[in-house]
Amino acid sequence: MSQRKSDVTNRKRRRFLQAGAAATAAFAVAPGAFNREARAAGALENVHNDAAAAAKKLAGGRPVTLKILEPSGSLGNVKPVAERFTAATGINVEFIEVPLGEINQKVLLEAVSKSGAFDIALPATFGIPDLVEAGILVNLDQYAQKYEPAGFGDDSLYATGDFYKGSRYGYQTDGDTYLAFYRKDWLADKEENKRFSDKHGRPLAVPETWEEFDALLAHFHRPDQGKFGGALFRTQYFIAWEFWSRYHAKGFYPFDGDLNPQINNEAGIKALEELVAASKHLYPGARTNGLFENFEAYGQGDKFANVGWGGTQKYLNGPKSKVAGKLAFGPLPGGKVNNKLLKTPYFNWGWNYVVTTTSKEPEIAYLFTLYATSPVLSTIAVRDAGGYFDPFREAHYKDPEIIKVYTPEFLKAHHASLKDSIPDLYLKGQGEYFDELRVNLTAADVGKKTPKQALDDTAAAWQRITRRLGKRSQVVQWQFLKSIYPDDVRTALV
Amino acid sequence: MAVQGILPSWSTALKRFAVLAAMALSFLPIFWLLSTSIKPHEEWAAFPPVWVTTQPTLQNYRIVFAPESAREFAATQSGSLDYKVAGSAWKAFGDSALISTAATFLSVLFGTLAAYSISRFGTGGSTYPLQLLSLRMFPPIAVVVPMVALFSLLKLTDTYLGLIIAYTAFTLPFSIWMVRSFIDEVPTELEGAAMVHGLTQFQAFLRVTLPLVRGGILATALFVFILNWSEFLFALTLTSGHVTTVTVQVAKYVSASSGTLYGVQAAMGAISTLPVIAFGYLIQRHLVRGLTFGTVKQA
Amino acid sequence: MSTIYPESLMPELAPPESRPPRLPLGIALILPAQLTLLLVVLAPTLIILWLCVTDWQPTSGTAWHAAEYIGFYNFQDLFYDRRFTDALLRTILVVLVCVGLEFLIALGLALLFLDDWPWRRLAIGVLILPMMVIPVDAANAFFMLFNDHGPVNHVITIVLGRPFTYAWLADPDWALVPIVLAEVWQWTPLMFLLVLAGLTNLPRNQVRAAVSLGASPARILFRIMLPLAAPVLILALLIRGIETFKIFDSIYILTRGGPGAATESLSIFMYNGAFVYFRIGYIAAAALLVLVAVILFCIPLDRLRRRHGG
Repeated sequence: MSQRKSDVTNRKRRRFLQAGAAATAAFAVAPGAFNREARAAGALENVHNDAAAAAKKLAGGRPVTLKILEPSGSLGNVKPVAERFTAATGINVEFIEVPLGEINQKVLLEAVSKSGAFDIALPATFGIPDLVEAGILVNLDQYAQKYEPAGFGDDSLYATGDFYKGSRYGYQTDGDTYLAFYRKDWLADKEENKRFSDKHGRPLAVPETWEEFDALLAHFHRPDQGKFGGALFRTQYFIAWEFWSRYHAKGFYPFDGDLNPQINNEAGIKALEELVAASKHLYPGARTNGLFENFEAYGQGDKFANVGWGGTQKYLNGPKSKVAGKLAFGPLPGGKVNNKLLKTPYFNWGWNYVVTTTSKEPEIAYLFTLYATSPVLSTIAVRDAGGYFDPFREAHYKDPEIIKVYTPEFLKAHHASLKDSIPDLYLKGQGEYFDELRVNLTAADVGKKTPKQALDDTAAAWQRITRRLGKRSQVVQWQFLKSIYPDDVRTALV
Repeated sequence: MAVQGILPSWSTALKRFAVLAAMALSFLPIFWLLSTSIKPHEEWAAFPPVWVTTQPTLQNYRIVFAPESAREFAATQSGSLDYKVAGSAWKAFGDSALISTAATFLSVLFGTLAAYSISRFGTGGSTYPLQLLSLRMFPPIAVVVPMVALFSLLKLTDTYLGLIIAYTAFTLPFSIWMVRSFIDEVPTELEGAAMVHGLTQFQAFLRVTLPLVRGGILATALFVFILNWSEFLFALTLTSGHVTTVTVQVAKYVSASSGTLYGVQAAMGAISTLPVIAFGYLIQRHLVRGLTFGTVKQA
Repeated sequence: MSTIYPESLMPELAPPESRPPRLPLGIALILPAQLTLLLVVLAPTLIILWLCVTDWQPTSGTAWHAAEYIGFYNFQDLFYDRRFTDALLRTILVVLVCVGLEFLIALGLALLFLDDWPWRRLAIGVLILPMMVIPVDAANAFFMLFNDHGPVNHVITIVLGRPFTYAWLADPDWALVPIVLAEVWQWTPLMFLLVLAGLTNLPRNQVRAAVSLGASPARILFRIMLPLAAPVLILALLIRGIETFKIFDSIYILTRGGPGAATESLSIFMYNGAFVYFRIGYIAAAALLVLVAVILFCIPLDRLRRRHGG
């Protein structure tokens, strides 16, 4: 209980700092917008009932239908919630399913067509800045002011992606923190321990830094014996995510305070060199395999380490995997900065409930998102195996069904990681920045460019992108984003 | 309709073997689709690959056509794929059929009329055909956002009419070019002769020329139908749930617990081919003959 | 040897009573097509012409007609954009290889089908199956086939006698091979039908005479058949060339343009530009350049076609 209280206190402190930082930014944000104290009365535990009641009242007997744009495969998380909402309010909910990789684009096209085809959408979190700038997302501050009870935001362990330039635009509904998986039994093996400590002078243990992680990969990589150091990924997106984590772990932000890229500094080059070196200790499928092939490959039991999300664990703990019960977990490794351990757990992807500006019932739509991400209903959503949502509220970690699916050890690591996750690059043009990065990273990984060349090219490209998108506006969001990095990381990063 | 071959007759066995090899290669990926469509989900990406499954299942087809019964089946058979899907593919097939057929009909109709006009009267000048063809050179991606903007202005987004008109326009250059080639091969004296007998130009076209190029028009219709039936990009971006096509439906078969549902996509792919094959079969008599560009040609 | 009297160009040749009422009927016939095109294609084309001199992005919050005019900066940017020039050259390479292979295979097959034999009809039916499959489904099939643990590697393993798990789709240098194979597999049937049609509709007398005079097959093929069939063949090359330039579905499914940007075609480049970067103005400029490139590629082909009496 006290742990939770200090979490809340930390958040309050962070919010005050944010309010200050945001207010001093070039484009001023309404003062007090971040003061979470002054919220509507309404207990956190009862928010779903209150939201439903308010929605029912607003609908006032009219035949209202809410349309939700959801990515294919997520219906399992959304339908049970929608059914209960309809039962409680009489408001109909319809679903428009979009192929998984196209949902952000579809929402953006709605900004162009303004057809009013859907009221609520579930875009991936990193796309929210672009969508806000395109003018398709409703600023939810006014509604949050009215309906969001105290503690609602804090109860969600990761809410960094909900905000853009100081205002709320969505509610996080998926705990997509990136975690590392290790073979507990291999770590405990006495023979292995001896071999390892003979060479490195320390026993086998869950690594805390990327250097330790890479050493373990190298140690366990014995393809002639049918064992591989790691599964992991060297494909699109994934390679950029791994670099993101490795780079932050060296103690730097990817941009300086004035949004000049610094990923091509010495630390960046070193991080990329280590990433390329680690590629040698991965299984051959790392270059081709997508997420589910990765589950199956790691589930074969012949690889030491892996990275993934809650969904990975759902599979690995399931009947088809050979490693259920044999795994140890941890956040993505950190680094040693000034001789102190710097932990940089990382949140990538994520899904957010948002309300579109072309909706005819934005307030009712907002109340649905509040309802869906409330502790009670989000637990029901996360429980369902037919969707992507992983735990993200305190209540989820206490639910017996959820605990059974993920295992308590995993949830412990998940909770610790999610709470303090560094965010993705929540900037307008995120797609461009990351695409330039991943193309150059891949070029370095296959040997077509040296790490220095790759990062220099990326930095130059990033400069061009920033200039084109409007540096002043981007700097505002960058400074805001920096201010809501987790406290420990924020004070350690340069 | 075959003419004399020019290859020496001793090579008959070799020739037949080459044909068989070509047929096998043509069929291999299709075989893989069919085979995967009846595999249980453990075998979709199994290693070593399963060429012919020993545990055939209809679950993939159930998911495509009757998702509710698929869920019931999965509930009773442990290990069977349980996939929660928003709706059955019947609507996708129906919508695709409607849109593709209507668009093909309009495209070939307008195209034939225009092709006759260009062939006989040179309407539009000598560069007009190339101008038309250049419309097909535009990579569709570049046109998507302007199309979305335009269609939303005209209130045509997510409507059957919108997609039909769009598809008609996209395939018109193709229709016009192909039909024009056929009409070009029909000598104008035939029409002239008919007109001497009192028919108007247009009647001559209908009664004399058209029957001669009927095969070619049907072949064009088949190709245009294939283009419409397989179109993905605009089906995705110009619709928002009210209208859906087969191509968009296939892309939705992704599940959170099992990733891309290869077997279900294969089942959908297999069924999607049937209408095209049916159309091709119906006009097969005309297919190669029609492509012989008219039956009157002097030596 | 054309039997088409160019009445449209020399109306004086037509018998007086039957001189057609040219313009009204001609225009009337072309009207439905023209109107449809105007509605659907003209407006977006004009929008693109406008957008290519702006920097418009939907994420700028402004409407497209209110975008900022930047002159020819987009074209300048494109000229220096390595990824664009790489994509352009790569696409040209793919077009030449794919269309070339399709044509050669189609020609070879067509020669086998010139004469009649028992199950010829069935063989044609099977051979044209690939083009009936929806390209996205075909690409999915090829994705499964070329998986490093897939059937193709399985067959190679059996043939070589040792395990072969080469990752076709992850090799920056050779990932284009499965893509080219998928395209060639899918569209050779179309080329085959067109070539077969062209070759079967040749004046038989000439061919028969040449055969009876003892001319070699090669001679007959190259000196008589191909030149006579030239209009159809060039039409086939033209159509397939233009369509292959826009190659998208197979690359999107097989490699998404990767690894890195190693298999990025022009369409994939534009897809990234439009749907990942949201740089609609930039992509409009790219589309214009592509249009110019393809037209330049088509003009000589069309001239050749017309010269051969097409």
